[in-house]
Amino acid sequence: MKKLIVILLVLTVAFSAFAQAQKEAAASTKPTVRLLTDATGIDDKSFNAAAWRGIVDFYGETVENPASKGTLYDVITAASADMYIPNLKNAADQGYDLIIVTGFTWADALGEVAPLYPNQKFMIVDVDWLSGANIRQYIYGEEQGSYLVGVAAAMQAKADGIENPKFGFIGGVPSATITKFEVGYVMGVLSVFPNAEIVDYYANDWGKPELAKAQAKAWYDNGVYCIFSAAGGTGNGTIAQAKEYRMAGKNVWAIGVDSDQYSDGIYEGTKSSVLTSMLKLVENSTLDALQKIEAGAFEGVVVQMDMVDGGVGYSAANPELSDAAKAACEQAKADIISGKIKVYKTYKEALAAGAVPAGLSALDD
Amino acid sequence: MSSNEKTLKPRRSFIDWFLNSNGATSVAVVLLGFLVAIILVALVGKKPGNLLRSLLISMVGQKNNRGVWNFRYVGETLAYSVPFVLTGLTMAFACRVGLFNIGGEGQYVVGMTVAQAFALLVKPFPGMWIACLLLATLCGALWGGLVGVLKAKYQVSEVVATIMLNYVALYGSRLISLNLPGANTYKTGPLPSQALLQKFLIPTSNLNIAFFIMIFACVVYWFIMEKTRLGFGFRATGLNKEAARCSGINVVKNIGLAMAISGAFSGLAGACVLLGGAFTSGRVLSAQDGYGFMGIAVALVGNNTAVGTFIAGILFGILKEAQSIMQTMDIPKEITYIIQGLIVVFIALRSGLELIKQQRAKARVRKEASK
Repeated sequence: MKKLIVILLVLTVAFSAFAQAQKEAAASTKPTVRLLTDATGIDDKSFNAAAWRGIVDFYGETVENPASKGTLYDVITAASADMYIPNLKNAADQGYDLIIVTGFTWADALGEVAPLYPNQKFMIVDVDWLSGANIRQYIYGEEQGSYLVGVAAAMQAKADGIENPKFGFIGGVPSATITKFEVGYVMGVLSVFPNAEIVDYYANDWGKPELAKAQAKAWYDNGVYCIFSAAGGTGNGTIAQAKEYRMAGKNVWAIGVDSDQYSDGIYEGTKSSVLTSMLKLVENSTLDALQKIEAGAFEGVVVQMDMVDGGVGYSAANPELSDAAKAACEQAKADIISGKIKVYKTYKEALAAGAVPAGLSALDD
Repeated sequence: MSSNEKTLKPRRSFIDWFLNSNGATSVAVVLLGFLVAIILVALVGKKPGNLLRSLLISMVGQKNNRGVWNFRYVGETLAYSVPFVLTGLTMAFACRVGLFNIGGEGQYVVGMTVAQAFALLVKPFPGMWIACLLLATLCGALWGGLVGVLKAKYQVSEVVATIMLNYVALYGSRLISLNLPGANTYKTGPLPSQALLQKFLIPTSNLNIAFFIMIFACVVYWFIMEKTRLGFGFRATGLNKEAARCSGINVVKNIGLAMAISGAFSGLAGACVLLGGAFTSGRVLSAQDGYGFMGIAVALVGNNTAVGTFIAGILFGILKEAQSIMQTMDIPKEITYIIQGLIVVFIALRSGLELIKQQRAKARVRKEASK
């Protein structure tokens, strides 16, 4: 027993000396930043990927070759929700100029940790209800971008001469944010086909593509023309299924979300199963926050990112997207910016205005 | 001759001691797992030193940028280890009685859900956390005991039943939590402060009194299993059910009771995670946390004993806290899962060692016979 204690003591001392040998922060004028993500990580080809892209862009590097990763910026993925607070504290203790968290699931943890570190600057996306002079919050007008892809899908169906086309929506975990996507999309579709049938489904998970794939297969078999997934990594299942069916010669489409997912849907040359993507330019907010830090102008405020601010948009990367659809999207874009078209943010409002059908699974807070 | 015997004796006794000691083989297996992981890290071109350093920081802490030693990492490690140990006890307890309780996850979810429902629905009172923990333990026991009764009375496979009940628990929890006050799609209203567990020693971390409760649970486990008549019956049932039945042990009762006690540990784990500082609001679960399943590995490494499970749980806590540290050093967090997986696989070496032991015994007998 005595021996054991001695060994343990020696080990502890050795370990301490070892652990103390910390790498020095790189001598650079550029700010340092850490991105904290949920379990899906920056490979979600969507939301987290966009935040990461903004960071990498700020340092003038590419996602393929992030040379300064580990010295100026890094990313930590939390495997489960009880790791949010410890991961935030770990980051704050290690002293970064900015700590970025993505998504509303982090709001509680950030609200808990931010007051403990008043000199540490934080940034969060999709949250506008936290208070604290050290938290910069970005909130997006997703309903406006989703309206555009709804218009694009419907116009494409019209150009293809589809009779009574049906449209699908797949969400991740239902929430007020995802409801904005669904309401905008449905309004966009209905602006072209006022009586189109809409189906929707929530996977209750951001990382289960198999659920979206099974649902997409069932819908496509049932005559659904186009499916928009706002479900993080889960939505990749929709794209995979659309790819399979398009390769087999079936005329069905998927719509990407957050990032331009055109390249994910490519199955042959320039042919992609992703008709368009609702672009939520999260990279613009991480970029903006870092620029503010560098300029010494960081303020803990809520920043609204709408279509007029360049926060949301649609992708015209797919060459098969018809000119009529593009023209209609551009028109809708102008109308939204000018205020001619008002896209609702909540299901309740949209329902009250008769802009969307009853019976969707969208939830408001 | 006599001096020769002296030099031979200690050497043989080390190997025999090693082969006979489950603790020593477990340690060897863990070291082997780390060794292979280090080689893997080196093979993919990362620095193995960083892996070790992140593990060390999660064990002893680190000097922060203000030059003060920061023990918060240790606190987080110990806080993470609480659910690992408790769910490990779940698996270990069932194993000792010859049952395979895959339902730790479900029992964990039930405990968590009941605790948050109680905390949110009942008017807060001082010491509310005690009621939350007790209720969670009780409901975890009921959830596990249900399977025990089915198994004992109707020979329903406890493996299938517990796996299925995991899903029932998860989606049932969603159903209930969505209807709690202040619930939206991913969280409920804030938990009352009276329900939260008191932090101690390292108040900046999530380390809280659940750590002592977990140690108490280990003692309870050891006491029931090793020191009571009930525990003797459990172990006898686990070793040979039919023989136990012949010796007049009530096997049916034992199986039901064992699953209930087993589930109680996981129910407690669920409440400890919820109230342990990582959450300020109740949870509307969208996926499993995985602690229940990790408990299986913890029990395997800990060889189903109280002390072993405790140590193995701490080890898993170290690995979990190290995840966020190693990612800053360009080591993928998945390496911790590889280590855990390797350890579980290498545990199978125990059977191999058993063979060696038999070989050695045979050789010895032969040698003595030929003398």
